[in-house]
Amino acid sequence: MDTAPLKGLRVVALTWVWAGPWMGAVLADMGAEVIKVETRQRLDAQRVVKLTKDSVEDINMGQFNFTNRGVKSCTLNLKQPEGKELFKKLVKVSDAVITNLSPRVLPGWGLDYPALKEIKPDLIMVTLPAFGSEGPDKDYVSYASTIEAVGGLNISFGYPNEPPVLSGTYPADPIGSIYGLVGFLAALNYRTETGKGQLVDVAQSEGVTSLIPEVIMEEVMNGRTRPRMGNRDEIMAPHACYLCKGEDKWVAIAVGNDVEWQAMCKVMGNPDWCKDEKFADQYNRWQNQDELNKLVGSWTKDFTNTEVMTMLQKAGVAAGSSLDIGELVRDPHVVKRGAIIQQNHPVGGKINVYRAPWKSALTAKNPPAPCLGQHNDYVFKTLLGMSDSEVARLSEEKVIY
Amino acid sequence: MFYKALNGVKVLEFGNLISAPFCAKILGDLGAEVIKIEEPEIGDTSRKQEPFLKDIPGTERSGLYQYVNMNKLGITLNLETTTGKKIFGELLKTADIFVENNPPKRMKELGLDYKSVKKINPRIIMTSITPFGQTGPYKDYKGGELVATHLGGVGYLSTREGDASKEPLKYPAHLFSFQAGLCAAGATLGYLYGQKITGEGTQIDVSEQESVIQNVNASIARYSYTGQISRRTDVLDLAPHHILPCKDGYIYASFVEEHQWRRFVEVMGHPDWADSELFANAQIRSQYWDALKPLMLEWTMEHTVEEIYRNSQEKGIPLGAVRNAAQVLEDKQMKAREFFVDIDRAKTGKLTFPGVPYRFSEIQREAPVAAPLLGQHNEEIYCKRMGYTRIDLDKLKEAGVI
Repeated sequence: MDTAPLKGLRVVALTWVWAGPWMGAVLADMGAEVIKVETRQRLDAQRVVKLTKDSVEDINMGQFNFTNRGVKSCTLNLKQPEGKELFKKLVKVSDAVITNLSPRVLPGWGLDYPALKEIKPDLIMVTLPAFGSEGPDKDYVSYASTIEAVGGLNISFGYPNEPPVLSGTYPADPIGSIYGLVGFLAALNYRTETGKGQLVDVAQSEGVTSLIPEVIMEEVMNGRTRPRMGNRDEIMAPHACYLCKGEDKWVAIAVGNDVEWQAMCKVMGNPDWCKDEKFADQYNRWQNQDELNKLVGSWTKDFTNTEVMTMLQKAGVAAGSSLDIGELVRDPHVVKRGAIIQQNHPVGGKINVYRAPWKSALTAKNPPAPCLGQHNDYVFKTLLGMSDSEVARLSEEKVIY
Repeated sequence: MFYKALNGVKVLEFGNLISAPFCAKILGDLGAEVIKIEEPEIGDTSRKQEPFLKDIPGTERSGLYQYVNMNKLGITLNLETTTGKKIFGELLKTADIFVENNPPKRMKELGLDYKSVKKINPRIIMTSITPFGQTGPYKDYKGGELVATHLGGVGYLSTREGDASKEPLKYPAHLFSFQAGLCAAGATLGYLYGQKITGEGTQIDVSEQESVIQNVNASIARYSYTGQISRRTDVLDLAPHHILPCKDGYIYASFVEEHQWRRFVEVMGHPDWADSELFANAQIRSQYWDALKPLMLEWTMEHTVEEIYRNSQEKGIPLGAVRNAAQVLEDKQMKAREFFVDIDRAKTGKLTFPGVPYRFSEIQREAPVAAPLLGQHNEEIYCKRMGYTRIDLDKLKEAGVI
């Protein structure tokens, strides 16, 4: 029987940008019904991202469509008293509330955990503040890069002897998402055993720090911050990216032991320099890796990165092309796995969306991200049993808005 | 454990290095009982990885190993032996969750692929974490942090405002291996709930490459709508959006909304140049970043990280201090939330470790348990629970089983 594990569970999402929505999308992948409550009053910033200078702004065509797959959308202005009441009614018929709005927002609206718990005693609520909902810096504001910097990621991120750099892709957000997922599901399992709901507060900055323990333990154990070491590994060499045929085309190669090195030498046609005692064992290769990297690069430059990857992987050596986004979408392995699929969004058209990074036979099949308020009828009429005229009045009065 | 949320849940871990051991650690942090299986004599490869206490390597001295394996019981078992397989089968029968990160080929050779495991325990949740997943043309490819970063699309984009003449840059340490383990834990908990409700098991096939892919959000959106390929050399229509040096370190400064920039100008004490039309909005500032940067540096170099961070945040500006490890350990916010924990352990003594980022309102936090010494719980598991005698234990050791 193919049943997604969270089928029958309803989650209300007060989420925006990336960290909150991605958690909702993953919950939907696992079968939960996720209802996003949003408002025209202040749109999710990702709904209105302008992709290029010349592109038209459309509230249904942002990055939103990539992080809100499979969720439902209803509009509700929570600053209005009637909006608050409807929200509470929705919470009453749901299992959980997830949010990544700033910690000040929900208490300001009278919709924080203590208030919602009164309506739904076994409610599970997950908050994803940057630095935690308590403590002296709880109100500090952030982007993902702020969290990465304060969490200790950037200081060890860079080329040797150069300043620290910014990440290119903002991992703090998806990290916060999945920690929220972990906290939520732990609380859910707890609820099935005890009947008790609770508040789960996830500090995203702590999430980042918890994924770079080497940096922290280096200080604890040896009193120093891990140096910026580019692509170097502490043991392996070669361990770098090498230029290949084409423009800005690279292949990553990581050689873990002598057996792999011998295999790689054979693939390269055993050039004379391979026999140099400077590269004879892992210790020597590591000590002489700058010179080694130049020599390896002189071999890779005559092949495409795919050719290098295929030759080396066949010989049992870890290698991978540095895929650009177009290559990634078309990558035969990615396609075969369905890791990125094409969805037909009613406004966005054909878009390439990524799923949660795991597969199971028990996974929900979900539609694309919703247009703003797409599920208003379902939420207000079907779930909450309101009449057509009531919904019309509240829409008119910009409560359902 | 940190929180007794998963009371009575039993996890078997046959993992190595980071992804599977970190997944199992998270389950252990949340109160599940985790039994970690290590290869006799050798143990988990992470035992040989830096950092080591006082830079002296040793099986029990790695900070990485000790962090990733706290809140677990540790036994040694050789799964290549007949008796080892039998013992493993017994352990599997009573487990709810089996976490591993071995090559699919090896698991099949050992008779531990999902098909075989399911025969022993039909309701088991088997979480398999591999570089490229259990299926598809790359399933037997070798991976690792660097290779996964690039085949997952993040490598090509790293780092922001990169230099085309330099190689794309890996993220520090093993960030993405950890992220894969985190995702695996999230998935496992979802299916654990399903198991409780329906009694059904499943295999969760986690791919490190796909875990990296979830990070390429902005560029996949741009590509889908416009066909444009993002590159690490792209210049954003946004400045400052940079890490900048100051008197005693670095800050991260970005002002997506104009009111933030105007408030930062106040923090800087209203220098004349800030009124220039050249710096009127983020887009123009990006165009004239070469002119703006030295002016800003003149000011930042006279102020400390802490001053700039605190003064900006007091005005609601999302500016960040680029903290080094010592500063992270001393961060008053993390201290107030008691994020870091001290763990006393044989051989290395009391050390501070990162804790967990979540807090539960209904479950009291408890002190975590130190990572096991190699084979520390052999007697506990084999004798006390499975009924082997001390003499058996000795014989199993001699036979290379444990």
